[in-house]
Amino acid sequence: MDLDALTGCLASPACLVTQTTSGFIIGMLLFLVAVGLTLIFGVLKVVNFSHGAFYMFGAYFAMTAYQLSGSFALAVFCGAAGTALLGLIFERVFMSRVYGADVLMQLLVCYAFVLIFDDVVRMVWGPEFRSMGMPAAFQVAPLFIAGGVVPPYYLLLIGVALVAAVILGLGLARTRLGKVIRAAAHNPGMVSALGINTGLIYGGVFALGGMLAGLGGALAAPVRSLTPGMGFSVLIESFIVTVIGGMGSILGALIGALLIGMIRSFGSLGFPLFTEGLMYLFMVIVLVIRPTGLFGKEVV
Amino acid sequence: MTELRAGRTGEPLGIARDEARSQRPRYLDVLIGLAAFGVLAVLPLFFGSKALLDFVIRCSAFGLFATSLNLLVGYTGMISFGHGMFFGLGAYGFGLIMQRTGVPVPVAFVATLVITTIIATVIGAICVRLKEIYFAFVTLAFQMLIHSTILSWASLTGGDQGLRGGIPRPVFLGIDLSNHVHLYVTSCALLVIGLLLMRQIAQSPFGYTLRMIRDNANRASFIGIDVWRARLTIFVLAALFASTGGIVMALFVSGAYPEFAYWTISGEGIFINMLGGVTTFLGPMVGTVLLLILNDTVTRLTEYYGIVLGIVILFFAIGLRKGLMDFVVEWYGQRRDGAGERG
Amino acid sequence: MLEIRGLSKSFGGVKATDNVTLDFADGSLTSVIGPNGAGKSTFFNLITGALKPDSGQILLNGVDMAGRSPPDIVRYGIGRAFQVASIFPSLTVHETMLAAVCADQRRASVLHRRFPLLETRDRAEHAMELLGLAGKRNRTAATLSHGDQKLLDIALALVLEPKVLLLDEPTAGMGTEERWRMIDKVRELWETQKITVVFIEHDMDIVFKIAPAIVVLCYGRILATGTPEAIRRNEAVIKAYLGTEHHAEAAI
Repeated sequence: MDLDALTGCLASPACLVTQTTSGFIIGMLLFLVAVGLTLIFGVLKVVNFSHGAFYMFGAYFAMTAYQLSGSFALAVFCGAAGTALLGLIFERVFMSRVYGADVLMQLLVCYAFVLIFDDVVRMVWGPEFRSMGMPAAFQVAPLFIAGGVVPPYYLLLIGVALVAAVILGLGLARTRLGKVIRAAAHNPGMVSALGINTGLIYGGVFALGGMLAGLGGALAAPVRSLTPGMGFSVLIESFIVTVIGGMGSILGALIGALLIGMIRSFGSLGFPLFTEGLMYLFMVIVLVIRPTGLFGKEVV
Repeated sequence: MTELRAGRTGEPLGIARDEARSQRPRYLDVLIGLAAFGVLAVLPLFFGSKALLDFVIRCSAFGLFATSLNLLVGYTGMISFGHGMFFGLGAYGFGLIMQRTGVPVPVAFVATLVITTIIATVIGAICVRLKEIYFAFVTLAFQMLIHSTILSWASLTGGDQGLRGGIPRPVFLGIDLSNHVHLYVTSCALLVIGLLLMRQIAQSPFGYTLRMIRDNANRASFIGIDVWRARLTIFVLAALFASTGGIVMALFVSGAYPEFAYWTISGEGIFINMLGGVTTFLGPMVGTVLLLILNDTVTRLTEYYGIVLGIVILFFAIGLRKGLMDFVVEWYGQRRDGAGERG
Repeated sequence: MLEIRGLSKSFGGVKATDNVTLDFADGSLTSVIGPNGAGKSTFFNLITGALKPDSGQILLNGVDMAGRSPPDIVRYGIGRAFQVASIFPSLTVHETMLAAVCADQRRASVLHRRFPLLETRDRAEHAMELLGLAGKRNRTAATLSHGDQKLLDIALALVLEPKVLLLDEPTAGMGTEERWRMIDKVRELWETQKITVVFIEHDMDIVFKIAPAIVVLCYGRILATGTPEAIRRNEAVIKAYLGTEHHAEAAI
């Protein structure tokens, strides 16, 4: 424990800025994964235990695309589009067979894919740590805000994630498709009675969730090291985020992700060895006070 | 038991059949247990293979763990994704007590179970009021909390290196756990005793209270059952057997490692239950043997263990949609019913 | 004697139960009727502890039940059956009865003995006989017909030997003939068991023929109480039912 470091940082604007920025990028990356998780749960009532794999694939796809093309924009696109496709296939071919089966079966199918996907990545990209490197366009001097160091890429990352959050929120609230998705979440029978193909909706939601996680992975690729199994730690943290925010709530996912980001960022100063423990502790506290999470609806 | 048998004589046939479905007298279970123990105990006389004995010891550790998880998953409908924390707790608790205090083995054993009881009660009190998926998550979170505590409290637990330097095992009652055969027989005894105790829990009135809660917790509360208390009780009981499994594991490897408390242990436990089936008492035991055989074979053949295991899981989850023992029982039941209709 | 005193409960401003005061004498048979959304089920949920009342008392032989938990209230002697049969699908009829008696005898957490306990046998047998389920004792509850599941639900309440039995639409989802069989059963149970029975019923034919006393709820309030004759002539009741689907039935 190093509380002096924490209080020292809280007193210094430079350190505050640095840590807050770092908290933001952790939070926004988590949000991109968690929001898919929460969306899939909200609509399909399935806990996608293999969601971390989409994040992982997003990062690897982006790395390969970047190495081949040299274009970071294309890399991000490949990461997001590739995982969207993967999500669609995964849902249509496998998950759709275990709807209605008990939770255990769904968890197991996902567990199987956690194992399979990790090994596929090891086969294709090798078991060692890989890194994509910072794209050339962002290899510039960092910004200094109130004495704190902020790499420009961080701003891009936060910006893209925020834009995704806003588009998603507006899309669900305003568009017809968004309304159908929300209706499907409420009452699947009703939607199919209206002649809307629920299979399509479900596949679409999985693709959307996969795409967001893949986007997160692609954006993370320049600043994180890539390794098989990288999806799992993100998955666990995303679970914490969705549980804190409330399963099925997009706003909850955003708030939860930022809270966890800040806890990780500042916690690493005060409790360098127990940063993860701090997150779990926070989750436990939230659940004890509000079992359905901060923004979750009361389950009747 | 005598009163039950006395009660059965002279009853109409229907009742006797009913009893046959749900009950086997306790002495029969004990006899089966003793016979199984006997067979296992004489095994070293005929097969000198250390690998075989090692295999049985590992089966004991994981079998205790998986069967205790089934008390939660199969009997009570509580899908715990953090049951492995008690496996880890048992291994670390026992290892630490033996390393640091030098008390006799039985004392350390009991002390570990006492510690497990206390921790499981606290964690359970928080978790068991949560529903389905939330229960799964919070247990998972506690598992990770314990795992990160083990990693970060390096001065006590050895951090990511685990408890090293071996666990001392002073001889007690003529049992020397450093002797491989002694360790083997002790593991078998713990397994058989553990299974008999869990069988008793499953077939006791409390076991039927658990089934009612699994089927319809709301209705159970309207016939006067305190659902929260019953759930907490089985949570703690199951933790005790998982902890015992962890103790066997710690004795086997003469140490404890953070992986014992990692979430994958819980994941494997769930998988074992699924593999063997949750509707029969011995399903998880069958699953344990299957998984360990699978594990050992696959790791020998390929480095891509995950892909093979994943495909096997998919076969059970999507293909059979149930565990092996569930499948066998159902198939047998259908065959018998079919024969009955024809006859 | 079950006395309800000023019982109220509202959900977000809507008063589902509004200052209800009622007495149910020992050994009485009362039917609670009212249009959909009148608060009949809420009324039952309050008495049995599924919902906590905002205010008011529920006195069973002078002891206040308000705010107690369902298991607690069951132990004081108020049993209930549900509108949709609430049973234990994987247990057989016999096991269900035995386990319920076990719970009633406070032996639900006994670990050292084997299920079923000898001392639970007679009561379980008796309840199965009463409800005519003895012949189906080895059937798994999930495989029973709809009507038998309803009977099993009632048996689950009755096997606890309650002082007061609340039946939420015992005839729900049944055909005409089956309804009459069920309600005859209910009446028979009431007569033989000498317990207080309160049941919710939609079919006015049944209500007027069977129930010696009727309570009419409307928007959470008591609209009228009395004998079938009095209720039939009550202006307020006629007005409340006018234009609703029940009017036709009530007029018969």
